Amino acid sequence: MRNLFNFRNPEKSIATKLIIAIGLLISIVSLIFWYAILQKQKMDVMSIAVKYGGSFVNFTKESIHHSLLTSQRDETQRVLETLATPEGVRRVRIYDHKGKILFCSHKKSVGQIIDKATVACKGCHVDPGKSSELLQNPQRWSVYRENSGPTLLKIVGPIPNEPDCYTASCHVHSREQGILGFVEADVSLALLDEAVFKQGLALTAYVIVFVFAVSAFLGIIIYKIVSRPVSELVDGMAQVAGGNLDASVSIKSGDEMGVLAQTFNSMIRDLKAARDQREKWTQTLEAEVAKKTEEIQRTHANLMQTEKLASLGRMAAGVAHEINNPLTGVVTFAHLLKKRFPSDSTEAEDLNVIIEQAERCSKIIKNLLTFARATPSEKGKVSINDVLSRTIFMVQNQEKFHHIKFNINLEDYQFIILGDPSQFQQIFLNMFINAADAMNGRGNIFVSTRKTTESGKPYVEIEFTDEGCGIKEEDMPKLFEPFFTTKPVGKGTGLGLSVSHGIVKHLGGHIKVKSVVGKGTTFFVRLPLAEEAR
Amino acid sequence: MKKVLVIDDEAIVRTSCERALTPEGYEVKAVSSGKEGVELLQKESFALVLLDLKMPDMDGIEVLNKINETWPDTKVVMITGYSTVETAVQALRLGAYNFIEKPFTPDTLLAAVTEVFEKTNQGGAEDRDIKRDSGNP
Repeated sequence: MRNLFNFRNPEKSIATKLIIAIGLLISIVSLIFWYAILQKQKMDVMSIAVKYGGSFVNFTKESIHHSLLTSQRDETQRVLETLATPEGVRRVRIYDHKGKILFCSHKKSVGQIIDKATVACKGCHVDPGKSSELLQNPQRWSVYRENSGPTLLKIVGPIPNEPDCYTASCHVHSREQGILGFVEADVSLALLDEAVFKQGLALTAYVIVFVFAVSAFLGIIIYKIVSRPVSELVDGMAQVAGGNLDASVSIKSGDEMGVLAQTFNSMIRDLKAARDQREKWTQTLEAEVAKKTEEIQRTHANLMQTEKLASLGRMAAGVAHEINNPLTGVVTFAHLLKKRFPSDSTEAEDLNVIIEQAERCSKIIKNLLTFARATPSEKGKVSINDVLSRTIFMVQNQEKFHHIKFNINLEDYQFIILGDPSQFQQIFLNMFINAADAMNGRGNIFVSTRKTTESGKPYVEIEFTDEGCGIKEEDMPKLFEPFFTTKPVGKGTGLGLSVSHGIVKHLGGHIKVKSVVGKGTTFFVRLPLAEEAR
Repeated sequence: MKKVLVIDDEAIVRTSCERALTPEGYEVKAVSSGKEGVELLQKESFALVLLDLKMPDMDGIEVLNKINETWPDTKVVMITGYSTVETAVQALRLGAYNFIEKPFTPDTLLAAVTEVFEKTNQGGAEDRDIKRDSGNP
């Protein structure tokens, strides 16, 4: 699993980004609400304070009403001093319309003129001191703070002119005066401040808890629906990139992530199928290339072999011809020597062996020369039985045929064909070599000739049967193709049957094959007989 | 005397002919090339020439033609290897009396030579005497 929340590099994780963004949004909104609620509370508290302050001012007016009417100044002063308390009402005073303090709970300030910039004047007048113009909506209270003390509410209440006032015996006030003076009270809001502060703290704590709770909840949600699936997808992709196409992502949800995972999985499957297909193609191609390469190599080897055989044949012909001369000497002198001994003597018998063996050499050479085709060939009358016998005699002396028994059954008839004896010998020799190879050099070869007719014309049929491995059905059509061979490379040229077929066809004949795998093969060579010989 | 000339480039073939024919009463002379043979024929006459077909300087056929032209009474028997049988047949057509294949036995050679002398009535009475002798070895 990868880092789901990468707080060190927030730009690398969607979840972190989302949480930071949403957290920030919640914090800002919460802060606005927090501030608004606090302000509302303050305002509510203040309006209550103003209400109670107004009541207090009215109460003060009622309390001093009598003492003012009866001009008992000391009594008025005493009442004000009684009303003022350090915790509640800090100060209460009365001043006239000109701002001169007439009574005050703080006796020292009696006779002073109040500051016209305060709410005492500004509560009603637009520009106190310059004109008597009044505000449309007078606000006869203000909140202020002295140094580091508690918040104070200054509230002013006017003392209107009444008939009792201008009809009193003292005649201090005339009937025309509207307002005789003002009661001003400075009320401490320390208790309210504390209450508001505590509420603010509670609200702050609530907001913080709220923000954290919402953020944590969102975090879990995002982890579940975004981070974990994304991480699984990333893991899956990493595995695919690493070459593991068996990887899959197990997200079962029905949302976009689930669809993405399914799409991803099907993509991997397609990819795997494509890869398998490609590998198959590659293998096929490689096999094809290997096959072609082998064919080319075999063809090349065959050509080399053919070339070698040809030069070997030429050389053999030359050598065979030269050997005839010394052989003449051997035969002649053996005969001469034999004449010196009685015909029944041991010496004569020994010399007979020399003569026989020398004659055998001569026969071998004759056959070899026929095969080597160095013999200048002319089309002539050829006796099939003779050539067949000569070929069999020749191969019997070969090591390859030492363990092979020839069963010969030739029809007693002069099968004369116009052609080159060496070519017939080549065909027969090839049949014998193939048979010997098929039998691994052990077994029986049956050779027979018979007269037959085809389309009313006389033919000779030569049958070659072996007890070899047989020819597979699928190889049958390719049997006469040049360079087709089932023998190991270097052993067979794949030319034997092809050349034989060519010669036989050229002479107007044909070759037929019957084969049972594991039992043996029979070749039937049919050749038309020469007209003169009929 | 029945005079026989052997023309063959191979010493062993020449020797074989000499050794096979001399005891039978033939006078055998042997040379190793066609050129020498023609030179010798110009000096003395021979009833029979045993001629090898394949020789380095002068081909057997060439020598045969020369003998047929110059000494029509002289018979020629070709000596041939197996591979030149066809050529030997050609030689017969060109006027050679017979041919023998290498390797030959003394009897084969003698039979071929005797045949020439018997059938062509060569050398008259002297020849006949020899024949009588040879018939009783």
